[in-house]
Amino acid sequence: MRKAFISGNMAIAEGAIIAGMKFFAGYPITPASDIMEYLVERLNEVGGVVVQLEDEITSINAVIGASWAGAKSMTATSGPGFSLMVEALGLAVISETPLVVADIMRTGPSTGVPTKTSQSDVLQVRHGAHGDHIIPVLVPWSVQDAFELTVKAFNIAESLRTPVILLSDAVIAHLWESAVLKDPGEIEVVDRKKPMVPPSEYLPYKPDEDLIPPMASFGDGYNVIVESLVHDEHGYYRQDSDTYRRLITRLTSKIMSNVDKVFEVESYYVNDSKYVVVSYGSTARAALAAVRVLRSSGVKIGLLRLKTLWPLKPEALREPCRNADLVFVAENNTGKIVADVERFVKNAEVVSLPLLDLEVPTPDEIVEGVKEWL
Amino acid sequence: MRHEILIVGRGGQGILLLGRILGLAASKYSGLYVTGSEAYASETRGGMSRVDLIIADSPEDIDYIRVRKANIVLFMFPYDLEGYARIMSDDAFIFLNSTYVKEHPYVTRRAFSVPYNEVAEQVVGTSRVSNIVALGHLVARTGVLGDKQVEEALKEIIPEKWLDLNMKALRAGLEIR
Repeated sequence: MRKAFISGNMAIAEGAIIAGMKFFAGYPITPASDIMEYLVERLNEVGGVVVQLEDEITSINAVIGASWAGAKSMTATSGPGFSLMVEALGLAVISETPLVVADIMRTGPSTGVPTKTSQSDVLQVRHGAHGDHIIPVLVPWSVQDAFELTVKAFNIAESLRTPVILLSDAVIAHLWESAVLKDPGEIEVVDRKKPMVPPSEYLPYKPDEDLIPPMASFGDGYNVIVESLVHDEHGYYRQDSDTYRRLITRLTSKIMSNVDKVFEVESYYVNDSKYVVVSYGSTARAALAAVRVLRSSGVKIGLLRLKTLWPLKPEALREPCRNADLVFVAENNTGKIVADVERFVKNAEVVSLPLLDLEVPTPDEIVEGVKEWL
Repeated sequence: MRHEILIVGRGGQGILLLGRILGLAASKYSGLYVTGSEAYASETRGGMSRVDLIIADSPEDIDYIRVRKANIVLFMFPYDLEGYARIMSDDAFIFLNSTYVKEHPYVTRRAFSVPYNEVAEQVVGTSRVSNIVALGHLVARTGVLGDKQVEEALKEIIPEKWLDLNMKALRAGLEIR
């Protein structure tokens, strides 16, 4: 354990190292570049490799390859780079490749306002890749959280054999805070499951009871097939509905049957609250301050801070809002996660507080937005 | 214990470095919880630089990341002197680098005008460490952190070959009456 005063991006890099990352490939883009810059100096100290490649497409494909070679692997980018990565993200889903993509959101569409913050890519990371899939998305609101959620992102990727998105934003990226960098043993670190059967009996996509197939790496002596087509347990292409249905159901069920491992939410003052604010990432820092301002003037209001944006757990949103009359969803975009909250919370009116700020939203904006409804 | 510190200056004056040293001294060496954010223009020299630091005993005492009611303010350069009054408490310690801040609206308040560049030039021989002189003055006058903790942070952050210069600057700042 080590105390540090570091930025959110440095915390992501440190979290990745603690999680056991041995390969990082990326292409620079503000506000994500300093993750790679930091790792260039740090990762070789722990026997890992950093490669700067010619673009984001190559970067994520290199990460997929490295993961199949047995290395915990990661890339980092921002919206424009993420757009280039979504095709390969689908390959990672269907080939069940553990990897982490740190996406540090900035303003869009297209090149937007480079270096300024935003939360407008929360649905891009969820739905960008084509085909049926569920890619877990974690969203930090502090430097400590960036460190811990990065470790968690690797743990989910390795244990569920899936790509995982760590979705930060330009504000958290360059926020400097006290952090406690825990070592393995002080924080859980999970490695992928390896085959227990001899190579002659190994089927590369045959799941155990937990729906996860043990993963052999290149060079382990097993037949390894990285198949992007719909495949059976051997990894052979099949074009019948049964095989297709079985594969897609398993790929989504392996995530949803572990939703408790993936989904996390923090609540503040919700027990007696008539009003609840739902928020995430840097905006949630303003939301907590706004909730405290409103409570100091007697308003019974609380905060639900989402640490996971996908998959969501409906009852974990519904339950804290059971006594609420109004639920506000504060996010730095035109209002996106609000649609899920409306879907899940039926007993209260759900109000969108869309904040389109190039800097971190202020508590005053949220206080005023809430007051209009009181 | 909770402090909100606002530092404003011009790109090239070492404003961000000053924030990092204070933040490290408070977090790693004083066991406090610190949230710091930076804003700066895209040019290397010139343009406004600003650091917001919130220091507290516990992370629960920090929510929003920006200063809302500063109790310690340092202006190394006169950017928006009046505007920042909106995010200061009435009894805030206000430090002004009179090398550049010749007039200010805080004459009736707890304000300290010191020509940090000249002090640095006279005592250390270069005005480049005016930021560290100001840091020493701010720390001594407010008691926000101990001298030792700030020295430890300086030792960690400043490269060896510039350390003596900076330690001298810190001491010069600590001794300003």
